[in-house]
Amino acid sequence: MGFLLDLRIAFRSLFQHSRRTFFLATAIAGVTALLILLNALSAGVSETMIRAATTLSTGHVNVGGFFKVTSSSGGPVVTEYEKVIEAVRKSVPEMESMVHRGRGWAKIISDLGSTQAGITGIEIKNEPGFRKVIELVSGRLEDLAEPNTMLVFESQVERLKVRVGDAVTLSAQTTRGAANTIDCRIVAIAKDMGLMSKFGVFVPVETTRALYQLRSDTTGAIHIYLKPKFIPDVTAIAARLRGQLEKLGWTVMDADPNPFWMKFQTVAREDWTGQKLDVTTWEDEVSFITWTLTVLRGLTAVLLTILIAIVITGIMNTMWIAIRERTREIGTLRAIGMQRGGVLRMFLYESLLLGLIGTGTGALAGAGLGAALNAARIHVPLSVQLFLMSDRVQLALHAGGLVRAALFITLVTTLAALYPAYRAARLKPVSAMSHFG
Amino acid sequence: MNHIVSVSNVSKNYNLGQVVVPALRGVSLDVAEGEFLAIAGPSGSGKTTLLNLVGCVDTPSAGTVTVDGKQTGLLCERDLTRLRLHTIGFIFQSFNLVSVLSVLQNVELPLLLQRALSARERKQRVLALLDRVGIREYSKHRPSELSGGQRQRVAIARALVTRPKLVLADEPTANLDSVTGTNILNLMKELNQSETTTFIFSTHDARVWAYASAVVRLADGQIQDRVSAEEAVRAGGLPTGRPA
Repeated sequence: MGFLLDLRIAFRSLFQHSRRTFFLATAIAGVTALLILLNALSAGVSETMIRAATTLSTGHVNVGGFFKVTSSSGGPVVTEYEKVIEAVRKSVPEMESMVHRGRGWAKIISDLGSTQAGITGIEIKNEPGFRKVIELVSGRLEDLAEPNTMLVFESQVERLKVRVGDAVTLSAQTTRGAANTIDCRIVAIAKDMGLMSKFGVFVPVETTRALYQLRSDTTGAIHIYLKPKFIPDVTAIAARLRGQLEKLGWTVMDADPNPFWMKFQTVAREDWTGQKLDVTTWEDEVSFITWTLTVLRGLTAVLLTILIAIVITGIMNTMWIAIRERTREIGTLRAIGMQRGGVLRMFLYESLLLGLIGTGTGALAGAGLGAALNAARIHVPLSVQLFLMSDRVQLALHAGGLVRAALFITLVTTLAALYPAYRAARLKPVSAMSHFG
Repeated sequence: MNHIVSVSNVSKNYNLGQVVVPALRGVSLDVAEGEFLAIAGPSGSGKTTLLNLVGCVDTPSAGTVTVDGKQTGLLCERDLTRLRLHTIGFIFQSFNLVSVLSVLQNVELPLLLQRALSARERKQRVLALLDRVGIREYSKHRPSELSGGQRQRVAIARALVTRPKLVLADEPTANLDSVTGTNILNLMKELNQSETTTFIFSTHDARVWAYASAVVRLADGQIQDRVSAEEAVRAGGLPTGRPA
């Protein structure tokens, strides 16, 4: 009953000062919309990066490793990988799917050019996610099931000057240190997907084995894909898996948040032979580009702080003005029996209502603007594509994010009114009633 | 005789910077239940201060104020507010209505604060009272849409809606023309007699004294005398205060 009365007074006070309410609600709506867009951009970049990274070079959690024939020569190889897969299956109940891929580094030589590239060996029939993400310019993905075939990206096509059907030669050192070559046929050309597609090609996993002269029970790494709700827990899951593998008898490398190719020199310097497994997360494998996310999140946080400071100042000023204008009313309400809490609530409700109106409008505006930007498919410059792993900006607009942003700004506006409302509630009825102004 | 209000040796000082200004000096006053008491005096004599102390919206610098058997100096802020809500009705010189609420909502306000009646009961009581003060047809109007007399009627209805034992009216006719003022006083008097509600009202208008059961004359923060309405009217004029 009292709640409805306070709410009624608050609502009508806002309505009575419609001009002031309009300007402040517009400012709150603007801040909310901006917050939503910034969060959507950050989440969009993050999602794009995760999707691209987890398609091209990593799972959410990976079991890779190194096999050294002598203490100075070795390669990114997991031996007896099926046993490892079995262990992973038992240790990671959060897993949604799993694939294994060959890994390596080789020189690709065509008739008219050459380039160095990371070689990833895949079993195309077991890679449904890969099909969803890769956008083909020409050729067929299915042909990658045949041995000695290759998928390249557009930017490599420029360097190698090849097209579908052309032959190239892969040249690499085997794990024993011997040079080896293998001929492949280009069967598919895909659109670039950022930095990692500049330096990576895909071949059947048998081709990587043939190139590095590996046995059929070897692979480069096992990529584990988690159910979406467990993705934020990758670090803990990786740590647990590391422990489990050790318990089962494998030698496991210490956690090192770097991609596997940055560990070659360290591993080569170490004095050991045989197999060591390395458990990494997707963040480790693309750590050289995740700084963009950190920068984006930092920038969002700074902007957000400034915007919130503006909202707080605006709300507090408005509340001070409202209290000054309504001091006599406060005195009267106190005189006729309204407790201090009632006065406090009355002003808090006013701010809460203002916040809800502003953030509701802002959330709708932000969502609309975000959807329009997504529909416009805005292309980004090449330099940005490298880090974005996409040729266009994609905002991730989720209902939960919209609600959270609106609630957060509403909470801020309500809290900003707390001190002025408290001061209003503390006014002595007699002094408030004798106030003019 | 039961006293609804007892003021005993009360002083009230205001600090204006370094200067202490006495508003009331050693005032003692008993008001019986059902009285229609006028506090008379020129501007600055302490009428409003005395009403504020009796109305528990201000605290005395010295002395005691007892309202409905409760010594106000011993009550906490919450209890004082409760006492105001349940025992006292206020009528202000400037009406002091909540501008954003309708007439009905303004009058209903104290009942909502009391949380004692259902919505239906509240509406019934408010409409009956609006009928009584003659402004029922304006129940949906905002205060800004009413004349001064109509606003004061709303204020009277608001003061009486909780059926308080005591109504304090600070210069209730000061902002009204003489005809409207007379009507308001007639209404207050009628309600005093029918509801046996005690009324204490301040005024510096000698014409108003005729309505009072007694007139307490204040000057320079002190009670000069307490006389019947007839005596006050006969004597005429307001006390001028102490000679300099």
